Amino acid sequence: MAEETAKEKKGRAFLDKFAMVAAKVGNQIHLRSLRDAFATIMPLYILAGIAVLINNVIFPLFMKDPILTNAQVWGNLLVNGTLNIAGLAIAPVIGYCLSKNKRFDNPIAAAVISLAALIVMMPLNTEATLASNADKTAMVTGVLTFKNLGTSGMFAGIIIGLLATEFFIRISSVKKLQIHLGEGVPPAVEKSFNVLIPNLIVLACFGIIAAILSVAGNTDLITLISKMVQEPLRNVNTSLAGCLLIYSVGNLLFTLGIHQAVIYGVLLEPLLIANINDNMVAFAAHQAIPHIMNVSLVTSFGLIGGSGCTLCLMIATLIFGKYKPTKDIVKMAAVPGVFNINEPIIFGYPIVFNMALMLPFILLPVIGISLAYFATSIGLVNPCVVLTPWTTPVFVSGFLATGGDWRAIVLQLVIVIIGVFLYLPFMKVSEKVTARQMALENEEA
Amino acid sequence: MKKILLVCNAGMSTSLLVQKMQKVVAEKNLDAQVEAQPLANAMDKIDDVDIVLLGPQVGFEKGNMEKDVNGRIPVDVIDMRDYGMMNAQKVLDKAFKTMEDFK
Repeated sequence: MAEETAKEKKGRAFLDKFAMVAAKVGNQIHLRSLRDAFATIMPLYILAGIAVLINNVIFPLFMKDPILTNAQVWGNLLVNGTLNIAGLAIAPVIGYCLSKNKRFDNPIAAAVISLAALIVMMPLNTEATLASNADKTAMVTGVLTFKNLGTSGMFAGIIIGLLATEFFIRISSVKKLQIHLGEGVPPAVEKSFNVLIPNLIVLACFGIIAAILSVAGNTDLITLISKMVQEPLRNVNTSLAGCLLIYSVGNLLFTLGIHQAVIYGVLLEPLLIANINDNMVAFAAHQAIPHIMNVSLVTSFGLIGGSGCTLCLMIATLIFGKYKPTKDIVKMAAVPGVFNINEPIIFGYPIVFNMALMLPFILLPVIGISLAYFATSIGLVNPCVVLTPWTTPVFVSGFLATGGDWRAIVLQLVIVIIGVFLYLPFMKVSEKVTARQMALENEEA
Repeated sequence: MKKILLVCNAGMSTSLLVQKMQKVVAEKNLDAQVEAQPLANAMDKIDDVDIVLLGPQVGFEKGNMEKDVNGRIPVDVIDMRDYGMMNAQKVLDKAFKTMEDFK
């Protein structure tokens, strides 16, 4: 280890720099709040996945129309309360998270103002489908539609929530705008008044923007954000190439000891979630599934045993490994590994700064995701239509994510077998290096 | 009673370590309480603990966390090796030493 060549040194310096920049990005308060908000709201989407699964896979097993249609009302209503308000729900949550992260003392007020600002931005008149004829639409007024509140409004919710909160916190800190009611007035009363003026200013400004957009542009911010931010980002980042690139950069980061969520959770996960949400809604409504690439495909076929598909490394080590200390770590990490939690492997095996294992750790998810993508596009497996928690064990995850397609289990098995043989030679090298290092350390000691 | 808070990305892998640490605490009859939280919830807890330990994968949050605890308690990143090995004893020893040195 002592003699590093100049090239190695350069490579190391580059990786250090990369890790530092990525950590800085992950630290950025708005992006951090975005990750926090998604972590908070995730259970809602997972619940929707379960409801869709029960509605469209379990119910049809033992029910027939018209009972089935009536029973499915249950799941459809749950979809309304979860996926169809994805944008509406994320706005106050992200406002809350941002003010918490900024240590603002009134986060709930920020959540309320974020929600209000989002609604202010909604169009006055909007297109809606007729209940009597699903093919016909009409312009209606006085309603909020799921189209604007749901997945296609998700980025609008995020951006407006962040803007409103940021603006609100800044104005709240202006001393001149605070009302002092004099001695003897309880502080709580004064606090409630002090929210008043910033509230008014923030909403008034949002109202002015909304009015200008509506009157002069005949449009609204929700549509604009959806068309100019969400859709382009979604098209690029969740394309096969975009997804593989971003996901691999995240995994590279993990091999440097920094959680991949720093990249993945910001650039990819929100868009992949939007995709699976769309798929769940379409699946529940018996429509064509819009997105092959989604968060369930990535976790089911690219996160087997955790980031880097380390379940394959564990199997390779247990069957072919000869070095006892690493085998012991694998045994200890086995149970969490089944649930895709692999920090013991990443830091214990270790994978971090272990040049031998960095390559398969990044490469295997690329193979898994690509195989799944092509298998789905030529119809070998059903597309993923259910959001499964990332902690769902392999084989169960593929089966559930595809709405109960057994072929997904076969595909996962294929990926696991490929993975074991991909990791194998690198595992052998890693074993030799680790054994030699240990021997050196013992000599020194 | 010393309260130790472990923080990682989703609170999953640290909860593994916490389980082991709690076992050590019980076995050795130490006067300590250990819990795990995801980053998103950590903010709600830091005011009533005596030390915050970050998982190495979120070690980049140290600066933020130090700002948040405002010098009241120590913030430390768990050693990668100890974390990977889930070496509860070592992590506890270090935590107690860090709290000791902090005073």
